[in-house]
Amino acid sequence: MIRQVAYGRAMMAGALGELAWVALTLLLRTLGLPVPDMVDPVGAVALPGGDPLLRWAVGLALHLAVGALWGLVYAYFVFSLLPLPPVLQGVAFAMGPLLLALFVLRPQLRLMLAGAVEAGLLVRPALSRQAEMIGVPAALFVGHLVWGAILGALYTHPTGYPAAKPPRLPAPKLSAPRDLIIPREQPPPEDRFMFATGIEGSYPTIEHGRWRMDQMQSCGHYTHWRQDLALVRELGLRHLRYGPPLHLVFRGPGQYDWGFMDAVCAEMRRLGIVPIMDLCHFGLPDWLSNFQNPELAPALAEFAGAFARRYPWVKLYTPVNEMYVCTKLSALEGVWNEQARDERSFVTAVRHVAKAAVLMAQAIREVRPDAIFINSESGEFFQPSTPDPHVQRIAAFENERRFLPLDLLYAHPVAETMRAHLREHGMPDEEYAWFMNQGDVHSRAILGVDYYVWNEKLIDSTGRAQTLGELFGWYVVAQQYYERYRRPLMHTETNHQDAREAPRWLWRQWHNVQLLRQAGVPIVGFTWYSLTDQIDWDAGLAVSRGNINPVGLFDLNRDPRLVGQAYRHLVRVFEPAMAGDPTLEQVLARAAAPRGDGGR
Amino acid sequence: MISMVRAHGLDPGPTQRPLSAGLLAGLAGALPALAILDSFGWFATLATLYGTTPAIAALLCTAGFSLSGAAYALVLGRGANDPLGGWLFGLACGFFLWMLVPVALLHWLPAWSGTSRPLLVGRPAVGLLLSALVWGSALGALFPPIHRALRAGIDPEPPEGARLGPEAATIPELGRAPEAGPPA
Repeated sequence: MIRQVAYGRAMMAGALGELAWVALTLLLRTLGLPVPDMVDPVGAVALPGGDPLLRWAVGLALHLAVGALWGLVYAYFVFSLLPLPPVLQGVAFAMGPLLLALFVLRPQLRLMLAGAVEAGLLVRPALSRQAEMIGVPAALFVGHLVWGAILGALYTHPTGYPAAKPPRLPAPKLSAPRDLIIPREQPPPEDRFMFATGIEGSYPTIEHGRWRMDQMQSCGHYTHWRQDLALVRELGLRHLRYGPPLHLVFRGPGQYDWGFMDAVCAEMRRLGIVPIMDLCHFGLPDWLSNFQNPELAPALAEFAGAFARRYPWVKLYTPVNEMYVCTKLSALEGVWNEQARDERSFVTAVRHVAKAAVLMAQAIREVRPDAIFINSESGEFFQPSTPDPHVQRIAAFENERRFLPLDLLYAHPVAETMRAHLREHGMPDEEYAWFMNQGDVHSRAILGVDYYVWNEKLIDSTGRAQTLGELFGWYVVAQQYYERYRRPLMHTETNHQDAREAPRWLWRQWHNVQLLRQAGVPIVGFTWYSLTDQIDWDAGLAVSRGNINPVGLFDLNRDPRLVGQAYRHLVRVFEPAMAGDPTLEQVLARAAAPRGDGGR
Repeated sequence: MISMVRAHGLDPGPTQRPLSAGLLAGLAGALPALAILDSFGWFATLATLYGTTPAIAALLCTAGFSLSGAAYALVLGRGANDPLGGWLFGLACGFFLWMLVPVALLHWLPAWSGTSRPLLVGRPAVGLLLSALVWGSALGALFPPIHRALRAGIDPEPPEGARLGPEAATIPELGRAPEAGPPA
């Protein structure tokens, strides 16, 4: 698959454009203008000697079909690639079919009809030379303009769906008995080093809450979920980061649609997959609005508790994925959900999200006291470009900001500048104190540090952040997080947007992990994210374009990519060496020991 | 289109056999296309013009369709595997093939063979376009299932020459590093 296309919409847009063109032609001809009929000659190719009315109807049908086909071509190869508004994109695209019509199809059509004309089955309308040279090309030009404009205007949003009209999740039949989903007594698996992947499951809204970007839907997971789970095992992997589609499962206070998750969980159990359940991934159900909602934390805690009761065998959880990225893109950069762009909104979102993560962990532990929380966070770093105090101050602030949600979650005191910033933007002292008193949350926590090529940024001389690429690498960035929180680490996300570079990136990330382990940092897992390609992450899920990002271990046809084979190779080579690693419980126990007794 | 395909990864993938799948899909797509060409009198016209037999003309067409199928698979790479869009890519391929080969050749051939009018007019010309479109869409639609039937499993070891193992982390363009390790 090279593009996610809304088939029906593309065909409809192309056909409607044709219809508008034909209607315009008819109108102008009715008004007596010398506009050539574009429909009859096409019908005459199929029915050279047929009834004129029938011939015209066949011609119209062929025109509509051709318009629909060109609509699909536009959707696959041109939509969103030109830096123009949608209507102009359609018009620009229409120039291609126009040239083909003028220089290929029209002469060929004439040849095809020549036999019928010679046999007397068809009478070619006599056109003056002026009409042949100017009138017909002009009519074709205007017709294509109309067609392209309508196509461009109608074909938008190939991925996602209106947030107010979410699809119903499929409710497949269970592939295993129900007691596989809710076992009576099941000994917890002895998790050691985790080689993992993930199903990309982001679901933020854009366009001020009107449009939902649902990666599981776009990437076909709702349809191919069973195959996806099988592919995880085919690669020799056991651990899977998996996010239940919160916005479709949690349908209101106390209302859950578990059908899909029941089937998925049963299949996971059947295949021996150990899920790391990611309960909130960049979005919220429509009824919870967005991350400015103060009711968010108790609502998500209710969901987490219900989830843990429904699937008590699940031990590994990510309550809220990448809290920093989630709040920054939602409340500071104006991309997702509330799409705010101010510090107060950002601080509000961080407060709500961090509180949600705390309450969710507590709710889960009420059901499953031995649950382990893998708090996946984006590993960020900001490098000042010059000694300019302004630049230095921005970099220092951003290097504090990146820790903020984790500081609140892990009850780690924030820097004085950040404390003042929080107070200034609406965080009461009592609330800060509440966070600092939730000391037990981190006792069962593993810190996941995600890393992509854009995670390190340079604060340039104007104070703006620019992507640096891999400057210091995961080793240095992850170590900064480790030094701050002293939690066991896991590399919880990485990938590369260029499929050809991905094997190299995989091994380089892995060597970072190895080196940090050798330095004594307890690292309990590695993740290539995700199992399949993703869609529209090249634009940060800010717009619905249907662009496929070839970052997966498999493409969206579920064919392996080179990096899939490389990862399988890596796991086979290194898994035996990891067999002697301590269990997660042992790692957590060591991390809880007084400082100096840590390490692997 | 090229940038789209490139972004998607030009490699056909470690488990795919694009050449075989393309040849087979091209051949399978040729069957309905040949039937259309025959019913529109194309082979008979060609045989008359060049003093050959319709069977030889049909054989040449079959070979052409099969090779074009292989070329389609090699050019489109992983994109050809798309079960949803395959028929459309194939249709486009058939259309471009019609534009590039028959249309061009059949307009040049008259000059070459000394006739003053195009070789194919009327029904055979219609048949040519129709067959190219039918062949293309059949090729594109049949390619994904044929590819799936032919593809290999994920090998435990990377194929020879594929830089998938630990050496993938290196940058060969930078040259070989000095010998490493303790002295013997």
